[in-house]
Amino acid sequence: MEVLQSLNSGGVYLICGGIVAFIAAVCVVFMVRAWRAGLALGMDRTKMKRAVTASATFSVLPSVGIFLGVVALSGMLGTPWPWLRLSVIGALHYETQVADAAVERFGTAGGGMTLEIFPTVALLMSVCIMWGMILSALFNKKYTDRLRRAGEKPEGNGKKAGGFGDKAMAAMFIGMVSAYLGSYLGSFISRKPGPEGGAEYVSAVFSFRGPWMPLAVALAAALAMAVFTYFSEKKKMAWLDGFSIAGSMLIGMLVAAVLPA
Amino acid sequence: MNTQQQYESYLKKTHLLGRIVSVVTLILLVGAPFAIGALLGSAPDLGKTLTGFLAVGLVWTVSSVVEFLVYTPMLGAGGSYLAFITGNLINMKIPCAVNAKELVDAKSGTPENEVIATLSIATSSLVTILVLAIGVALMIPLQPVLQDPRLKPAFDMVVPALFGAMAYKYYRKAPILALIPLCVMTLVFTLAPSLTGSTSFMIIPSGALAIALAYWFHIRDGRKAGGAEKGEKQP
Repeated sequence: MEVLQSLNSGGVYLICGGIVAFIAAVCVVFMVRAWRAGLALGMDRTKMKRAVTASATFSVLPSVGIFLGVVALSGMLGTPWPWLRLSVIGALHYETQVADAAVERFGTAGGGMTLEIFPTVALLMSVCIMWGMILSALFNKKYTDRLRRAGEKPEGNGKKAGGFGDKAMAAMFIGMVSAYLGSYLGSFISRKPGPEGGAEYVSAVFSFRGPWMPLAVALAAALAMAVFTYFSEKKKMAWLDGFSIAGSMLIGMLVAAVLPA
Repeated sequence: MNTQQQYESYLKKTHLLGRIVSVVTLILLVGAPFAIGALLGSAPDLGKTLTGFLAVGLVWTVSSVVEFLVYTPMLGAGGSYLAFITGNLINMKIPCAVNAKELVDAKSGTPENEVIATLSIATSSLVTILVLAIGVALMIPLQPVLQDPRLKPAFDMVVPALFGAMAYKYYRKAPILALIPLCVMTLVFTLAPSLTGSTSFMIIPSGALAIALAYWFHIRDGRKAGGAEKGEKQP
């Protein structure tokens, strides 16, 4: 309790809050620059507004989920550090895994957090995931310049025709979705509840007793998306597009809350 | 200055700004544990951090390299600087930017895509920062609602809900292309269920397979179109 009180002290809030405020300012600067660049390029203001609105609505629900990650981690790391980690650079699955592993390695016999090990755990969490940012700082320019040169030539108005690049990106996304859906299906087919019950599952090839909730939720969200798409495309309600993903996710998550675990 | 020159100048400044901001963020994030340690009366143990990194962090390093190579083309210059600073790529930033790009029909590699991706990632990051800041401020009065056992299963399922919705959106455009990686991944996870803990790494072979198939379809369609044109020209 005393450890958590120290980790939730005003000084720690100030350090973490200051960094979060800096990142928020960076986002605003990038946003304003991109908006102005779009106008200078002759882009349609309505299109840009639509992208901003859709991105905002899209991000609300996952952000609430991320906030719940802060709540989940706050029992071990206090509130300000998970708040910083999940506002900047982090991802819930990563933070949870590294924090758990670090406390397990460095912690007390009972696996608990102490004020002595906290800075080491916090540094490890920072070091393990900083490489994307380092690579971006070092190679983003070279990489994106190379990609631009490999693309097609401009067609007068600065807009380029989509070649295989677009198809490759869509395919990459299909691959990503397939990996997750495949894991839900495979998990259902080849896992079964562990001896201790609860949310613990163990490998059991072709037992068909694995967790089914992710499949049910994914299916519900996909069906909701189909309904949104129908109204958007067939009933000419294009405005629904901006809410379709967030709305579908909400319906999928509601199914998880309603169905018996 | 014409539009192309303006765009080039914008990109140049974006790279400069992106690099400065990335380095500053890096210093802040690595420095924070030292600052907090000083406040708490202890300091990070560098030896333990190194051994911990070798045990836990190497796998995330590989993942970071792959993420950089795969996501940078999707997000463009400005979008990727911001995305790698603000994180939450797979579960939010990437689908968010792809969704925005689809909405306005921006093609990859175009100036329009660069602008839309940056706007999308910046907006998404600000929403997350705002939601988290409000949440942290209200944390104490919100605790009973957030810890309501009826809501927990819903928030545990954010990722399946996201990928279910995205699956419909993308699979319907290329059902045959989607079916093959889905079947292969299902088979892999069925035969090696322990891999479910490494789903984020399985994105690499799954994505590679989907891209290879898309390339094959692309070449095949190109040949078909070429053949049809030749046929039309012949008397």
